[in-house]
Amino acid sequence: MKCGIDPELAMFEQTVIDFASNELLESRQENDRFPCVPLFSEVLTKARAVGFFSVTMPEELEGSGMGTTELCLLLESLCRVDASLAAVVFTDTLAKEIVYRARGFLLLEEIPGRVSEYGGALLAFPSQSDPGDCAGIVAEPAGEGKYSLTGKADYVVLGGIAGNAVLPVRTGDAYSFFLVDLAGKGITVSEPVQSLGLHACPAVDITLDGAPATLVGDEGEGATYLELAAGRMNAAAAAMLVGVMKGSFEEAVAYAKEREQGGRQIVNWSEVRRMLARMAVKVKAADMVVSELCRSAEDNMPGWEMGARVAVLFAGEASTDVTRDGIQVLGGNGYMEDYGQEKRFRDAAQMRSLLGLAPIRELKLMERYLAGEPLF
Amino acid sequence: MFSDNGDSAVLQREPRFDDITCSLRSVNKLPGAVFKETQQVVAMARRFNDEVVKPQALELERLKREDPEYLAWDMVEEANRRGFYSMFIPKLFGGHGMNMPALSYMLEEIGSGCTAISNLVGVHYLGIATLCGSWNTRLMNKIMRDVVEGEKTGKPCLVSLAITEPGAGTDTEEVDLVSRAKVTCHAEKVPGGYRVNGRKIFISNGHLSTWHMTIAYGDLDNPAGTTVMLAVKTGMDGFSFGRQEHKMGQKACPASELIFEDCFVPDELVCFDAEQAARYSRSMEKITMQVLDYVLSASRAGVGAFGTGVARGAYEEALRFAQETEVEGKLLINHEWAQCVLAEMYKNVALARLSYIETNYANGMYGLFKVLHFKPIFYLMKYMPQSLVDKFLEPFLEYDFVTWIFRKIYFDWQKDEEYERTSGWASLSKFSATDAGVRNCELALELMGGAGVRNDQVAEKHLRDSKLLQIYEGTNQLNRLNVFKCMIGRSAPAAKVFED
Repeated sequence: MKCGIDPELAMFEQTVIDFASNELLESRQENDRFPCVPLFSEVLTKARAVGFFSVTMPEELEGSGMGTTELCLLLESLCRVDASLAAVVFTDTLAKEIVYRARGFLLLEEIPGRVSEYGGALLAFPSQSDPGDCAGIVAEPAGEGKYSLTGKADYVVLGGIAGNAVLPVRTGDAYSFFLVDLAGKGITVSEPVQSLGLHACPAVDITLDGAPATLVGDEGEGATYLELAAGRMNAAAAAMLVGVMKGSFEEAVAYAKEREQGGRQIVNWSEVRRMLARMAVKVKAADMVVSELCRSAEDNMPGWEMGARVAVLFAGEASTDVTRDGIQVLGGNGYMEDYGQEKRFRDAAQMRSLLGLAPIRELKLMERYLAGEPLF
Repeated sequence: MFSDNGDSAVLQREPRFDDITCSLRSVNKLPGAVFKETQQVVAMARRFNDEVVKPQALELERLKREDPEYLAWDMVEEANRRGFYSMFIPKLFGGHGMNMPALSYMLEEIGSGCTAISNLVGVHYLGIATLCGSWNTRLMNKIMRDVVEGEKTGKPCLVSLAITEPGAGTDTEEVDLVSRAKVTCHAEKVPGGYRVNGRKIFISNGHLSTWHMTIAYGDLDNPAGTTVMLAVKTGMDGFSFGRQEHKMGQKACPASELIFEDCFVPDELVCFDAEQAARYSRSMEKITMQVLDYVLSASRAGVGAFGTGVARGAYEEALRFAQETEVEGKLLINHEWAQCVLAEMYKNVALARLSYIETNYANGMYGLFKVLHFKPIFYLMKYMPQSLVDKFLEPFLEYDFVTWIFRKIYFDWQKDEEYERTSGWASLSKFSATDAGVRNCELALELMGGAGVRNDQVAEKHLRDSKLLQIYEGTNQLNRLNVFKCMIGRSAPAAKVFED
């Protein structure tokens, strides 16, 4: 992503790159073995200390007050090395954006701590599914603006380490968001769910049995709040995919320049070079899309949110091809955990389903366009 | 109107008629009992899937994740108990004698449940095929009867192929490339045998195997002209296992490092070397490539079957999910776009399967098991009691002249167009079916969304398992080059392969 001539952005990007190199690179393979090894708690604590959590929240809510561009820079730079920490930041940011857009400022101020210092700062969210498809939980009013939730929420990301979760619940014909204290009564949290990728950004299944919860914003307005957060968060998801692709491409090129087969470096076999070229085209195109998107977002150009929806779908498809070829260039070594490529392949595949099925998001994109929302 | 007025010439134009009609030609030549045997094998494999593979696949992965040194001995012992490791060994060598093409159907079946477990069976036959490619009948008999004995005693005796080295992966599968490769596994000729030094890596089933068909080189500066195939047994002095690789998928099938430190292999365990090759009319390099092509033509059909299996597994998980899950207020299976995705996945499975079937027709007429598919021999072996085979036929396998006869048939009398046909089809199946496998897994995850990333929904495991299929047995790029070499470039006089 281009920082342009903004020196502050360039400095911020370098800070993140240095953090990723120092804190994530060496232990990447080991951290990815969670839950067979402990979670990288020290890294999460440091990440909180340098302000990676709550990045888009205003300073009065313990945030950094950053915008879409900084969020995308942060996530892309982390993903170039290890997408798991980026996924933690993404999930937490998504949940907080929804609460913030619902004007739940008091809720954000009052988030109590639990378990660990970094956990208390985080909000969990079922980020791998479309909140509109929620059907597993029933909300009963419990007086004085409080509710009681019963049912099951599957794959709640960060649910095993965060203090609270934001959960979508169907209320009538629409859905609402509720804030749930994960240390409260009526909550049962499963063991971490074994997943395809992003192992160090763990998810759990949560069973609720009369669990107390606070409505976020107004009842039935869940879709509205998600819509207000969607532009930024779609841009963020696209930036994450760009970061993973860049890492995959760079590692593939470095390997191809070193590895010899048939008496020469494999980068000098034209089929391998062409494979790298196709990767380069996709990475660069996605990178340019996200850069342009951030510029549009900062200028609040009309229709930039549609661009964000397009960007994440484009980056998702591109990332599948790039990370698959990123393994292929390394041959057998690419398939092994000792190298970074197989993790990138898994992480990218997992990120393609952020906020719901990609085909459904494609259909909704066309639905909006046909309803008159401009694309160009 | 229907006389042969130069039909031969036009039929030799590309695509050559004989290349595209392997199945049609097989219709009359294939023994009818092959169909019944294949039915039996598929039924066995399906029961194995239901009773063992599907209930245990995820658990095996969990055990491997928790302990990277874990070896799936229980699964191997179960497959051994069911006779899988001797099922396709010819009766001449003490096995059950099922037809070789049926193995591909079995690998697809098991692979639809778990590619790793399918490898635990299939890779053993890669080792068997390598042994058979040498046509050293005495050693073939010795080692395959060890496998059969292992079934009787309950102590599995698996065979692996040890060819890949740290500096040479793709290189080792093409004579034109190995001549320029950085190979380091040296077999020094010494009195009474060879002394081997070096390492092999990424050897599938290595830690689980008893016999290792090891490809080493007499002269590291001239590997193509000095290739040696040795039968190394676990426990021999100077042979040891190194690390197990930490793979993204196919976790139940170990990828092993084999270490040779002054490992002495006596002459009686030398399957094939330059001295033996000197008795035949082609050059050592050419014969080495023939041996590799015989093996790879059979084994790549097997990988095509793995690809079909994982494509099918992903399709079946996606179909199940679509029938159970509501999206946007209706069952996913009733969304038109989802129906199109499922149809695309079904097509991928069907075409992948057709590719390995056609390859096996080619192998049955021109390749490794052509002798066994010759009807008189097929029925003789099928109905001759094992006791009579052991008493009257087995003793001949000890004689050099029997090895000489088989090698005459397979080395000297194989026409160029025959090995081009089998080798080309095998590569075509390998890269087509494995690409289809990966594609179906990606489609499954697209269709399943967030549920698809959960290990307990199986689809994500299929995706991780599938990617290795595009890499081993020759990368899909190498296999494309082999199709060019065998089926395309031969008709372009100016074409040169591996000389980019």
